[in-house]
Amino acid sequence: MWCSMSKKQGKGIRMPYERRKAMYGYGFISIWLIGTILWFLIPLFESLCYCFMDNQTLKPDVGGMKKEWLGFANWEWLDNFRYAFAADPSYKQSLVEVLKDTALTTPMILIFSLFIAVILNQEFKGRGFARAIFFLPVIIATGPVYNIINGDMGTTGVDSGAQFTTLFETDIVDELLAFLGVMNISEGLSEIINTVTTDIFGLVWSSGIQILIFLAALQNIPVSAKEAASMEGATAWEYFWKITLPYVSPMILANFIYTVIDSFTKTDNAVMERVLTKQLEWDYAYAAAMAWSYFAIVMIVVGIVTLIVNKFIFYEVE
Amino acid sequence: MDQDKNLLDKLKRIEQEANQMDAQAANESAATADAAPQTDAAPITETPVTPEIPAEAPAPAVEPEQIPATLEESREEKSVAPVEAQETAEPEPTIAEEVTEEPTEAAVSMSTPDRPHSDRIPDCAKPDVHEEKNVGEGMTKKEAMKIRMQSMNKQEIAYLRRKMIFEKCWPVFRFLILFGLGFVILTPLMFMLSYAFRDSKDMNDPTVMWIPRNFTLTVMKQTIDAMGLTNGFFDNNPLVNTLFLNIGCSICQVITCALTGYGFARFKFKGRNLLFGIVVLMIVVPTQIISIPLYMTFKNFMFGAINLIDSMWAMYLPAMTANGIRAGLMIFIFRQFFRGLPKELEDAAYLDGCGPFKTFLKVMVPNAGSSFLTVFLFSIVWYWNDYYVSSAFFTNTKTIALVLKNLDTTLNLAIFNNANAQVSVREKIVWLEAGCLISITPMLILYACLQKHFTEGIERSGLVG
Repeated sequence: MWCSMSKKQGKGIRMPYERRKAMYGYGFISIWLIGTILWFLIPLFESLCYCFMDNQTLKPDVGGMKKEWLGFANWEWLDNFRYAFAADPSYKQSLVEVLKDTALTTPMILIFSLFIAVILNQEFKGRGFARAIFFLPVIIATGPVYNIINGDMGTTGVDSGAQFTTLFETDIVDELLAFLGVMNISEGLSEIINTVTTDIFGLVWSSGIQILIFLAALQNIPVSAKEAASMEGATAWEYFWKITLPYVSPMILANFIYTVIDSFTKTDNAVMERVLTKQLEWDYAYAAAMAWSYFAIVMIVVGIVTLIVNKFIFYEVE
Repeated sequence: MDQDKNLLDKLKRIEQEANQMDAQAANESAATADAAPQTDAAPITETPVTPEIPAEAPAPAVEPEQIPATLEESREEKSVAPVEAQETAEPEPTIAEEVTEEPTEAAVSMSTPDRPHSDRIPDCAKPDVHEEKNVGEGMTKKEAMKIRMQSMNKQEIAYLRRKMIFEKCWPVFRFLILFGLGFVILTPLMFMLSYAFRDSKDMNDPTVMWIPRNFTLTVMKQTIDAMGLTNGFFDNNPLVNTLFLNIGCSICQVITCALTGYGFARFKFKGRNLLFGIVVLMIVVPTQIISIPLYMTFKNFMFGAINLIDSMWAMYLPAMTANGIRAGLMIFIFRQFFRGLPKELEDAAYLDGCGPFKTFLKVMVPNAGSSFLTVFLFSIVWYWNDYYVSSAFFTNTKTIALVLKNLDTTLNLAIFNNANAQVSVREKIVWLEAGCLISITPMLILYACLQKHFTEGIERSGLVG
């Protein structure tokens, strides 16, 4: 009511209310807009341009970059990409490696973090303490500390470290597979299982935020759904599949995207390392071409998966 | 259609029941002399009746124990048993006669024949309950459960048994899982504590595992020196630099991101979706892609007039314009949060004559306190841990994360007197762990004090929903 009134009043004299409000909206985001144009959009555009410039001349100079566009004839403008995919010895290899790695670990992280979140959502003694421990990686795992810790666990410890890695390594899986005769059928499967079981450390340490997000989603499940399920005599198993999973499903997508982006942009993955070394070698054009093609692939993968997953998601509202 | 179907179903059921009743009656007539078989038969007649009661009236809060208790009594006072059984058996034929009646009416009519003192179901159920209570009181929980089990069919018993087993076992499993995984998380921290305070030669001693044999503080001291934490206040001390950068940038970023998030959440303007798409792009695009052009921008700031590289401005300027580290995520969180607040709050403020900005300051910000704190804490953690962005813009200015990243070379220089010394990591690990410990301690303290805001703030900050 108030809206319509002010509209009538203000029509002749001032800007219409809607317009005025829109202007305020621009006002609120103006600071960000300026910053984004300066520190995000222009650099983004510029790095996109680097992809199509001559690598030899593209060097920092007084007052800016020395630039020279690649010619348009003969598909010359794709030279940097051609270098990345055809000439560079390690780019393609590390690209495949990273993609494979992410395809393996992402579902593991999602399942694991959902599992932990469900456990941490239950009532038991010492829950606060358990939560505090499981979110600890959120604080530490983002920095260089993680690299040192991870390195220690993997390489250095002949004494204590090795003991713990063997503790988690479990050859049992191998033996079990051999026993079942699966080993002969597929080497790949046992390799997959092995990477998953050996890397429990990485798994636990990289799923802090995901647990947090899932936990928040779990706490948003309405009590009525819980009560209805218990009245109908649902077992914990049924409850998980029929109640928990549908309610959490939007967050599964969100977590999936977060996990993928996180693992793709980690500075210690193979492609990123390659890009960074190229940057250090002043091969900016190559580095930009690599980074952009990598980014494009990631986006395509994420887009496809999002489209597929979106069909199975249950949105309460709408 | 549905009604017809229901009727058909009902007829079928009643037929079945009638058959059952016939068998029952035969049983009864045979057992008038001996009451014992009667009690055995009773559960069968009991089961079809019990479901009717809750449907008819909520009043007979027949605590499940009470129904079997009826049986209990019937067993004790054997002379009464046949009467009881008849009572329950008799109503069924009445339903068969009045198929067209509503089920409720059928239930009512079923209670009438043998109970003159009560014509409504709740009343007919109540007396039993009261009488039986005395019997039920004497029982232990186990006994009551046993009796209850007798009135259940096989599936129910199986369900209860499974549930019981699950409830008994689950806490044990849960403890094992949590303990094991918690151990995985805490191991590196325990390593740090254990390594940082031992002498380097302990590392070559296979008998030393957790508790150092040669306890020393020299490693810590050496590391602190090597990291430059003992420098003067203005002498490029990493801790001072980091704190200055950290807190300042975080405050700037939280304020600007909150403004932006509010703008996106509550105002409709042209191109809003497109602009918000840019925010999402900010989350998705890795910093590595834009770092070099950004470096050039800062190096030739104001058309080459000012060189901002190695000055704090290179970090402060983006933070002040909501473009710092992970700013996209923060804008997203704030937008979600503000969208979740009731619109009436603002309308009230508008009515009272507040402008949008004043409304934001006076109404929305106080309501968003916890969200502000959460985002601020995360921002501090991100700035503290960041080394990529700072390594791109800083050459001489040191931050804790940068120092830690280069600790390897620094250590070589400081302790082994040679930057390129080929010292195996095993020998250096003591210092490295000490460095880790030093650099995470402030964050750990912060986390320990404000743990609630970290973990529970996320949901309040509106990341979900």
